[in-house]
Amino acid sequence: MWYLLLLGLLPQDDAARELELRDHDALRMEIARIADTHAVASTVSLGISREGRVIQGLVLDGAELAAKPAILLVANLEGPDVFDSAVALDHARALAEGYGSDEAVTKLLDTTRVYVIPRANPDAAEARFLTPREERTTGGRGIDNDRDGRSGEDGPADVDGDGLVSWMRVPDPEGKWMEDPTDPRASVEAKIVAGERGEFRLEVEGFDRDGDEEVAEDPERDTIVNANFASGWEEHGEHAGLFPSDEPEARALMEFVLGHDDIALVLCYGAPDNLNEKPKSVADDAPSKMRVPPEGVLQSDADVLAELAERYEETTENSASREADDAGTFQRWCYDHRGLLTLSTVLWEMPEEWKEEDPPPEEEGEADADEDETEEAVEEEEEEEPENDLEPSLDAKRLTWIDGSEESWRFVDWRPFDHPDLGSVEIGGFAPFALREPPTDEMALLADVHLAFLQELGGLLARVTVAECTAEELGGGLWRVTVTVANNALLPFQTRAARRSRTVRPARMVLDAGDGAVVAGPAQVLIEDLHGEREETTWLVRTGDPDAITVTVETTHAGIASASAEVKR
Amino acid sequence: MIGLSLLLLQSGGFPGLAADRAPRVEIAWNRLYDYEEVYGLLDRLVETWPSLISRRTIGRSVENRELIVYTLNDASTGRAEDKPAMWIDGNVHGNEVQGAEAIVYTAWYLLENRETNERVRELLERSAFYLLPMVNPDGRARWFRDAHSPHSSRTGAMPWDSDRDGAFDEDPPNDLDGDGNIVQMRKLLPGEGTHRLSADDPRVMERVPSNDLGIRGDWVYLGSEGIDDDGDGRTNEDGVGGYDMNRAWPSMWMPGHVQYGAGPYPLYWPETRAIARFIYKHPNIAAVQSFHNAGGMILRGPGAEGFGNYPGRDVRVYDELGKEGEKMLPFYRYMVIWKDLYTVFGGFVTWTYEGLGIISFTNELWTNDRLSPDERVSRSSADRMWFDDNMMQGSGFVDWHPYDHPLYGEIEIGGFKKDVGRVPPSFLIEEMLHRNAMFSLRHARSMPRVSIGEPELTDLGGGVTAVDLVFENLELIPTRSARAADEKIGSPDLFTLEGESIEVLAGGFRRDRFRTERIDLAEHEPGRLTSEDGIDGRGLVRIRWFVRGRGEATVGFSGEKVRDVTRRISIR
Repeated sequence: MWYLLLLGLLPQDDAARELELRDHDALRMEIARIADTHAVASTVSLGISREGRVIQGLVLDGAELAAKPAILLVANLEGPDVFDSAVALDHARALAEGYGSDEAVTKLLDTTRVYVIPRANPDAAEARFLTPREERTTGGRGIDNDRDGRSGEDGPADVDGDGLVSWMRVPDPEGKWMEDPTDPRASVEAKIVAGERGEFRLEVEGFDRDGDEEVAEDPERDTIVNANFASGWEEHGEHAGLFPSDEPEARALMEFVLGHDDIALVLCYGAPDNLNEKPKSVADDAPSKMRVPPEGVLQSDADVLAELAERYEETTENSASREADDAGTFQRWCYDHRGLLTLSTVLWEMPEEWKEEDPPPEEEGEADADEDETEEAVEEEEEEEPENDLEPSLDAKRLTWIDGSEESWRFVDWRPFDHPDLGSVEIGGFAPFALREPPTDEMALLADVHLAFLQELGGLLARVTVAECTAEELGGGLWRVTVTVANNALLPFQTRAARRSRTVRPARMVLDAGDGAVVAGPAQVLIEDLHGEREETTWLVRTGDPDAITVTVETTHAGIASASAEVKR
Repeated sequence: MIGLSLLLLQSGGFPGLAADRAPRVEIAWNRLYDYEEVYGLLDRLVETWPSLISRRTIGRSVENRELIVYTLNDASTGRAEDKPAMWIDGNVHGNEVQGAEAIVYTAWYLLENRETNERVRELLERSAFYLLPMVNPDGRARWFRDAHSPHSSRTGAMPWDSDRDGAFDEDPPNDLDGDGNIVQMRKLLPGEGTHRLSADDPRVMERVPSNDLGIRGDWVYLGSEGIDDDGDGRTNEDGVGGYDMNRAWPSMWMPGHVQYGAGPYPLYWPETRAIARFIYKHPNIAAVQSFHNAGGMILRGPGAEGFGNYPGRDVRVYDELGKEGEKMLPFYRYMVIWKDLYTVFGGFVTWTYEGLGIISFTNELWTNDRLSPDERVSRSSADRMWFDDNMMQGSGFVDWHPYDHPLYGEIEIGGFKKDVGRVPPSFLIEEMLHRNAMFSLRHARSMPRVSIGEPELTDLGGGVTAVDLVFENLELIPTRSARAADEKIGSPDLFTLEGESIEVLAGGFRRDRFRTERIDLAEHEPGRLTSEDGIDGRGLVRIRWFVRGRGEATVGFSGEKVRDVTRRISIR
């Protein structure tokens, strides 16, 4: 992060600021405020959510150019990722404020358009701000999960009235779970083969409203917006939705992408991560099976991703990740079906820490939240193997971190509760959003490093140039015109996936011979690929005025370039 | 005699027996109708039988034409939504026009015969029909109005940049000679060509074999009538639209680079989305028929090999209907789409089956085999010309005639018109419509129908009675297809028993006809049993309830694709 300081991107007062987590109305007001205050910013509406909330974004666009590439930033696709929306919105604010005063920001917005959609899934996100507070991943229509002919009759609830939908330990000799011996607050699955026996079921807080001995098994809402896109969509999956694009939020995002062919790169905040987690890749020429192309990132694009992942790590020092399925995600649709270079990153995960008496982690760096302490622990434990191999569970390690921080809100101590349907239970566990939101004093720094990465990306986008345009005299008024078009940027003009999907418009080159006539050569040249290579085209032109010969290369997403012929007599 | 005729006129109908009755609504079944006329015909049916057929606009096309679903239902016997219903549509491909007429014919036949034909009356009592004559009215309207070939105007009308040059629909086929037809172009290039004129009929072009014998053709075939409008070196490569609304449906949908014409996501085109919304909102749809042309096929899924096989229980239903269809439709073959035709991802009838669990067929209406009922007229090109000369008085063919083409110079233009090949000649239209309509009725008649048998009561002592009931599905199609059961589509079937003075202590599905103790007991709510599998076609479900108390009770069956039934029983 040192160079950010050099670049002056981290003024001290700024880094100490707090990021505000906003409910829908406050988010809209902030979007409007940014657009009203700064000419470089304007609002854009993508559509209306299932529950009637407008999905809004900001367009940041400096100098007016005929064509410039755009970056689309999308956050909060998953309901509980409310923090991510604060980061995205903070980027928009910083860019809007910096335009005209900050040189790097000005240059970025003069050459690159930035679309910021801070909250793609406003309905599920709103559960963050309601009482009871709930981490809601689902929205949209409900299905009959328990197949009893009724839908949505038994969902999660705040049983004990503490304002949170958390967890329940329901005593049950057939239950899979027991207390973690290293920290009884944590729950672990009993290992039957090791002679352990389950003591309780771990259930989300709720009732058995339909009396079927299942708790909260048929919620009112079932669709996950970020599983409702068309690539890898899991038909008949519980959370996939009725059909791809049935969720208005999913359709709105897709329509936005389809309507903006200037988008050269998509950056998502949220899972599934492909910067810290290397995605599955396949050879560029991997054959289709039964006419269906193989799943995964094509190798040429995986190489590009790997390079960007390295830069990401250098710039942000963030290594958080979260397990997630990529079936039906927006990210996958953007890449697989639209051929867009699509990056996605999880901004924060809860650190895991080890108690001094705990056995060591097996690999160095596994718990990387606090490197110093981890290294210490490794050194200590190298000396002797503990007799009882009591490795703390993941949750126990998280609890250790919570205990050592001032973040006690993140865990609600288990306390007995007389449940109307289940009798004696314990209610508690990780509080909603405990695993999603960083400590307040880390938020601004996370935003700043990610803004730096966004700015860095702007400098890497493909841009067409005319590398050569010469007119060479052949005699008799005939001229050989040679044009070379190039992309000198790090990122390809088209991804390999785009060449496969044929969804990104090729560059279109047109020669204008002035008063002359084209004797040989194409009226227009469509160029698919400019990555790492140059495209040379030759024409024969009959003219008395070769200086009037010009060539124009026009693209949707890599700018526009033109040149007059350099005449060689 | 006069009295009898009047009576028949009032009681209505052309019965299919031709001798002595006139239909109440006369429709010429020897022609095809354009977009407005199709709705006009159906609207005449609505005016004539307002209590049996109604219309509802469910959406609009890209060019703002209405999508109208006509609901055929005898409302005096219940709402359409409460009955099993058959969905029939046609003309998703704009050029595959005659499905619309098949639908008008189906409605007309049912309405004309309802008063006089007991089977038709009964079918309309127990089931409903949702009829959408034109999925793609824009494609149809353009096919009728503009110069077209038999194969063009398949797409919808949303502008589409087929050649990816940034311009939309800028290089369509061109009616160069302005005769209202898009036919073929050829050029005489003696000794340099790829084709020659057939010795059997000089109007027919033959490819010259490529070998070392030194044979050279005198003609070059130049493709469909047109010019290179956008000057990119290609002809007719970016016409109106350029996509396929029968590749747009959610089940096994694949993007455009895998499946041509699929669009950017399922149900992208407004026509498809409006239809899907209607169908999702009508879970009572228990049968689906979609009409295309041509080739003489009764098609079912899977559309792609990757699906695997449909469950055997459903295949048996498909096979029975498909084989019946082959008998009803001479020259038609019952086929599996991917295996016997070609791969289709995101097809309509594969969605209605794989996504919604409904037994669904696509019929490819009309095959040239039917031009002659025996083999004396072959399918050769020369015999096609013979048929046109002798049976059509030459009306179907545009004779080759010279044209001065801006690029190719002196060429000839000629070939079969758009209404030859994929649609029947006028005198064979009615037969095609009738046979396909009857196949739909056969399918509709197979939609599930449940009856509850006589209860059997066994006194178990202590005031407890065992109540045995048999629920029977009288028709071929199961109340829930195996696909619906496997994928938990829609709501499970419900079997209920309730009575004011009756307490249901236990109950469940019997697994054995003779051993009453073999029973899958419900874990809770024994008076309200759910079943994912429902009742098989022509099958039985046996239930035993254990009740305490005496008195009247109601036994019920309820399923999404079945008319609910109840039976009062008396427990004493």
